[in-house]
Amino acid sequence: MTLTYLKKHTAYARIAMAQGRRERAELYGRVVFFAVILGVFSSLWRAVGEAGLPASGDPRALVWYLAATEWIMLSAPQIHLEIQEAIRRGDVVYRLGHPASYVMAEFAAGLGATALRMPFLGLTAFGCAFAFTRWTPPLSAIALFIPFAVMAAALLVALYLWIGLLAFWLQDVSPVFWVTQKLMFVFGGLMLPLAMYPSAMQKAAAFTPFPVMLFAPASIVLGTGLVRPVILARDLALWGGVMALVVQWTYRRAAAGLTVNGG
Amino acid sequence: MTRWVNTLRFARALVTTNLKAALALRGAFVMQALFMVLNNFTFFVFWWVLMRRTPTLRGWRLADIQVLFGVVAAGYGLTVTLAGGVRYLGQAIEDGALDTLLTQPKPVLLHALGLRLQPSGFGDVLSGLVFILWSGQVSWRTAPAVALAIAASALACAACGIVFFSLAFWVGRVETAARQLWELLLTFSLYPEPLFGGALRLALFTVLPAGFVGYLPASVVREPSIQNMSMLATGAVLYFTLAVLVFDAGLRRYASGSRFTTFG
Repeated sequence: MTLTYLKKHTAYARIAMAQGRRERAELYGRVVFFAVILGVFSSLWRAVGEAGLPASGDPRALVWYLAATEWIMLSAPQIHLEIQEAIRRGDVVYRLGHPASYVMAEFAAGLGATALRMPFLGLTAFGCAFAFTRWTPPLSAIALFIPFAVMAAALLVALYLWIGLLAFWLQDVSPVFWVTQKLMFVFGGLMLPLAMYPSAMQKAAAFTPFPVMLFAPASIVLGTGLVRPVILARDLALWGGVMALVVQWTYRRAAAGLTVNGG
Repeated sequence: MTRWVNTLRFARALVTTNLKAALALRGAFVMQALFMVLNNFTFFVFWWVLMRRTPTLRGWRLADIQVLFGVVAAGYGLTVTLAGGVRYLGQAIEDGALDTLLTQPKPVLLHALGLRLQPSGFGDVLSGLVFILWSGQVSWRTAPAVALAIAASALACAACGIVFFSLAFWVGRVETAARQLWELLLTFSLYPEPLFGGALRLALFTVLPAGFVGYLPASVVREPSIQNMSMLATGAVLYFTLAVLVFDAGLRRYASGSRFTTFG
């Protein structure tokens, strides 16, 4: 039963990977966007460094920090858009009859697309960060960061899945996505390490899953010792469990209340 | 002359119709606009945190960045409010959806641009104006300069959108690449100009004219002068004229999609 279940959903992941390989334009676009963002920020951090003010510590480390957070962010496909469209068009109704869980199938497809993107974007992240800074953090820190980045990206996929499911009630989930993205920006420490934010914001961030997705894994690259790998693994597992429960509960509520208008 | 007046009346009718359609779903309209305001203010937290620690970045202060951010947000918001169809231009060309517009007596580009309105654009315009006012760098006397800066930013932004999405006339499926190019334009527009040097700065005033979307309009708001204002207006009009020419050249290559569809 478990093996069949696993095989079935692995097939969704494989299909998503195959689709991703066929439609490379978005991936190339993300690679270019990533390189540009790192270029812009390396200029910004250089300017901050020139200002000679105690803003940030080492500007080179901050470029690597951004490379790490953006790698996680850009690797997770925005599956909420496809889910939203499926719900809007009513296609989701046909999927409910499939002998596979709709939620798990979408999650597996999201993980498949992530698996395809991560190597390309990882090379872009580390290649560009090195090109702009002429410096690398200790390789052991990078090696430790990679598995945490993969787990964080999977958690992000689950978050996008949940946002997509909200289309059962909201029709257009873009506003929820924008706000989540910005919360990730602020509470996740997408561009600036959380340690640079006012303490009230740091305290508020601790109650959200966003630091675990971005700030904590990326801090491993900085090698500041602020984050302990064991604690991070525990937090990722904890938030993963919470997310799984929330997604399942949301889906059950949606499926129970689903009214089919035509077909 | 009558033709121009008729075209303007048509443009006004498009905007009014779109607005009525958007307001028909009042809840969704308000929510999208409000969430965009929230979105823009959250993004600005980054600058607020950074500039608390580093008050001046190559001569730029927080107030200058507020003006830049405000002008770009308001300009972009105006574009997607009045010419929201620009984002769907590439898809329309690729799908042959311009067929229905070609049979209409009004300019195809104007019609295609005015077919849609993004409610979130109102949130952009609102937050843009708040950022500009909050900067403390404007007064009633500089209001015309602010209006010119936002209009020019919107014109340059729309011009770039038209050019990027019109590439579909030549290279086919270009939706993703064009959208990302447009996002790059906005990304560059939102950061202070002195961060970029050399060839990149030249590119930002030519190939990817972020200079006309953000930096130059922002400098008009901060230091209005006849020279600045005329340079901005000329640049924006030239870019828009170029965009119209590119679209017209592309339209001559346009192959019908032979679509049978209802319209209106």
